[in-house]
Amino acid sequence: MGYHVAFMARGSSDVTRAAAAVGAVAAVTFIYVRWLHVSNLATVSTTFLLVVLVVAATSRLRVAAATSVAAMIAFNFFFLPPVGTLTIADPHNWVALVAFLAVSLVASHLSAVARARTQEAVWRRDELARLFDLSRDVQVVSDSREALASLARAIARRFDLEYVALALPRVGDWDVYEAGAATITLDTREFSRAFATAQTTLEFDAYARTYSGHRTMEVDGHTIRLVPLRVGTKPIGLLAAAGRPIEPGTLDTLGGVVAIAIERAHFLEERKAAALTRQSEELKTALLASLGHDLRTPLTAIRVAASNIKAPWLTAEARVEQIDLILSEVERLTRLFQNILDMARIDAGAVAAETRWAHPSEIVAAARGQVEQTLQRHTLDVSLDPDVPVRLDPRLTATALAHLLENAAQYAPEGSTIHVNARVTADGLVVRVRDHGPGVAPADLPYLFDRFYRGAAAGTHLSGTGMGLAIARGLLAVERGRVWAENAPDGGALFTILVPAAIKDTATEGEPVGSPAA
Amino acid sequence: MTPDARILLVDDEASIQRAVGPLLRARGYQVDVAGTGAGALKMFGERAPDLMVLDLGLPDIEGTEVCRRVRALSKVPIIVLSARGAEADKVNALDLGADDYVTKPFGPEELLARIRVALRRVASEDDVETGVFRAGDLTIDYDRRRVLRQDTEIRLTPKEFELLSLLARNHDRVLTHRAILKAIWGPNAVEHTEHLWTLVAQLRRKIEPDPGTPRYLLSEPWVGYRLSTADSEGAA
Repeated sequence: MGYHVAFMARGSSDVTRAAAAVGAVAAVTFIYVRWLHVSNLATVSTTFLLVVLVVAATSRLRVAAATSVAAMIAFNFFFLPPVGTLTIADPHNWVALVAFLAVSLVASHLSAVARARTQEAVWRRDELARLFDLSRDVQVVSDSREALASLARAIARRFDLEYVALALPRVGDWDVYEAGAATITLDTREFSRAFATAQTTLEFDAYARTYSGHRTMEVDGHTIRLVPLRVGTKPIGLLAAAGRPIEPGTLDTLGGVVAIAIERAHFLEERKAAALTRQSEELKTALLASLGHDLRTPLTAIRVAASNIKAPWLTAEARVEQIDLILSEVERLTRLFQNILDMARIDAGAVAAETRWAHPSEIVAAARGQVEQTLQRHTLDVSLDPDVPVRLDPRLTATALAHLLENAAQYAPEGSTIHVNARVTADGLVVRVRDHGPGVAPADLPYLFDRFYRGAAAGTHLSGTGMGLAIARGLLAVERGRVWAENAPDGGALFTILVPAAIKDTATEGEPVGSPAA
Repeated sequence: MTPDARILLVDDEASIQRAVGPLLRARGYQVDVAGTGAGALKMFGERAPDLMVLDLGLPDIEGTEVCRRVRALSKVPIIVLSARGAEADKVNALDLGADDYVTKPFGPEELLARIRVALRRVASEDDVETGVFRAGDLTIDYDRRRVLRQDTEIRLTPKEFELLSLLARNHDRVLTHRAILKAIWGPNAVEHTEHLWTLVAQLRRKIEPDPGTPRYLLSEPWVGYRLSTADSEGAA
C-alpha cells in the first residue's frame, strides 16, 4: 500500500466528515427548536459539546474546528438571546463559545496522536515483516561472487525499492553490486566520504534509532539514502537505496542484516579457500608418502643385496641373483626419477610439442622399447590400420603410450596378452591399449588420471609410482591430445589415446617421412 | 645367537624378499616368506616361527593388525619394518605387542643385530627366574629392591626403581613412552611425557657411567626407551 494513496484517502474523507458533522449540528438545532422546544441553555450547550467531542475524537483537527464553529454559530443564532441574531448580548456566552473551541482542539489533538501511533505501529510491522523476509533471503545466499548481487536484488524486492546498491571498499576503489529498475550512476567519491564519516564517528540517535553515517543525496532526480553497513561497530561498506521512503531506523537495521550477510558470504568463501588449501596439502602428503615408499624399498633392497654380495659365503648362483636384484632395483629408481622429472617438467610447463611426420608403427615401437623390462612377462599384440604417416610429436605420444603399457603390465596377470591397436582416422591418431586384467572399478574411473591415485581394487601388486597415467595425460595435453579409460565389454581395461594430427595424403607423397622403426 | 631359529619374513615387496631372505638364510636361520597379512597369519600357524620380521605396509591387512593378532596367540618376538617419519605407526605396533623396529632403508647388520637381541631375550627369559638381573656392571636384585654398580649400592627412589625394573624385565625391547607412563603413573598419565623425561634423566645420573652418552638406558627418539644389554653380549 502506497504512502500517497493513504494520504489522498484521508483528504477526501475530511470533506465527508465535515459535512456529516455540520449535518449533526443542524439536526440537533432542528430537533431542539422545532420538536422539543428546548430553550435551557445548559442542555443545548452540553448537547453541542457532545457533538463536537465525538467529531474531534474521530476526525482531524480542521474537521473538529469546523464543527465547533458550526456549533457556535447555531448556538448563538438559535438559542442565545437575542435569538435570531449573531449578536452576543451576555459576555458569559463568550465563555461557552471559547469552551467549544478549546474542547474541540484538545480532543482532536488527542485523537490525532492516537491515530498517528496506530499508523506508526502498522508501518513498523510492515517494515519488520520485510526485514524478516530479507533475513530469510540472506540464509540462502551462497558463497559466490554472485551472492552480493543476489543480496542486492533481494533487498530491492523485499522493500519495493527502485534502486539498491551495495558498495564494498577495496584498495583504492569500490565494488558496487546494483539491483532495481532504476539506472543511477553514483559517484564513488560520495561513498568514500560517507564511509570516512562512518569510520570516524559512532553516535546513536535515539530518536531516529540510527547510528551516525547516514547520508541523503539527490542524483538524476532520485533521492538516494546512503547507510553504513556495520558488523559490530566496524563499517564494512555502504548501502544505497532509492525509491520508497524507508524510516531511518529501519534502514539502519537493514544495514546490519546486510552486513551480516556479507560477512557470511566472505566467511563461506574463506572456508572454501581453506578447503582447497587443505586438499593441496593432502596431495603433497600423498606425494611424500608415495615417494618415500618408492625410494625406500629399492634402496633397502640394494643395500642388503650389495652386502650379501660382499659376504664370502654366497654361491655363484646366489651372487648372480643378488646382482640381478640390484640392477632391477636401480632400473626402478631410474624410472621413478624419470617420472618425477617428467612430472616436474609438465607442472612447470617446460614440455613443448615438436611435431613431425611419423608412422604409428614407429611410435608403438618406441613406446615398447621404453618399457621392455616391465613387459617381459606379457605378450604384446600390435595391430596397425593403416600405418600411414601422421603429423604429431612422436616422442610425447610414444612416452604417453609407454606409460599406458606399463600400467597394463602392472595390473594384467603375468603371461596374458596386451593388445595395442593404432588407427589413423580423420580426427588424428587413435591408439587403444587393452589388457586382460581385472579392469577398472567404476568408482576409480574419474580419478584414474589423477596424480598418485591408485585403484583400490588393484590390491596386492603396487610397484607403480602412481604417476604414470597422470604423466601420460600431461604429455598428451601438450599436443592437445586426450586419454581416457573404460572397461572392455568382455573384461579388462581399455585405454584410448587420441592425438589430433594431420594425415599424409598418400596420393601426393613426396615429402620425406621418418622411416618406421623395426 | 640361536642357530636354526625359524624366521617369518613378511613383506609385500618382492625385492625385499629377494634381498633379505638370502641374508637371513646365510646366517643360519630358516626363513619363510609371506607377502600378505593373511598369508603371514596362515604361515604363522603352520610353521611356528621363533621370530617375525613384519613390514607395516601390507596390501591386505594393516601391519599393526597382524601384530595384534599374532600377539594374541603367542609371545614370539616381532620386529617391525617401517618408514622413517612414520613414528605413529611404530608406536602403535609397539603398543600392540611388537618388540622392536627397524627403519627402512636399513642396513643388513642393523636388522641382524635386532634379530639376535630379540632371540637372545626370549632364550634368557626361558631359563632365568632368579630374581636378579645383570647387564654389564649393573645388577638389579628385584626381591631386595637393590641396585648395584660394580658392587656399590645405588640408592634409587621408588619410582626410579620401578622404571629400571620395568625396563630390565623387558630388556632389549623398546617400551613406548605411553606403555611406560601407564605402567608407572597409571592410565591417566599417558600424555605426560615430561614426567618420564625427568625420571629418566635422574635415573641416568645414578646408573650410567657417563649420563651424557648412556649405554644402558637408551632413548628411541619419538618412540620410547629400551634397556640395552649389548655390552654384556660383547663380554659373553
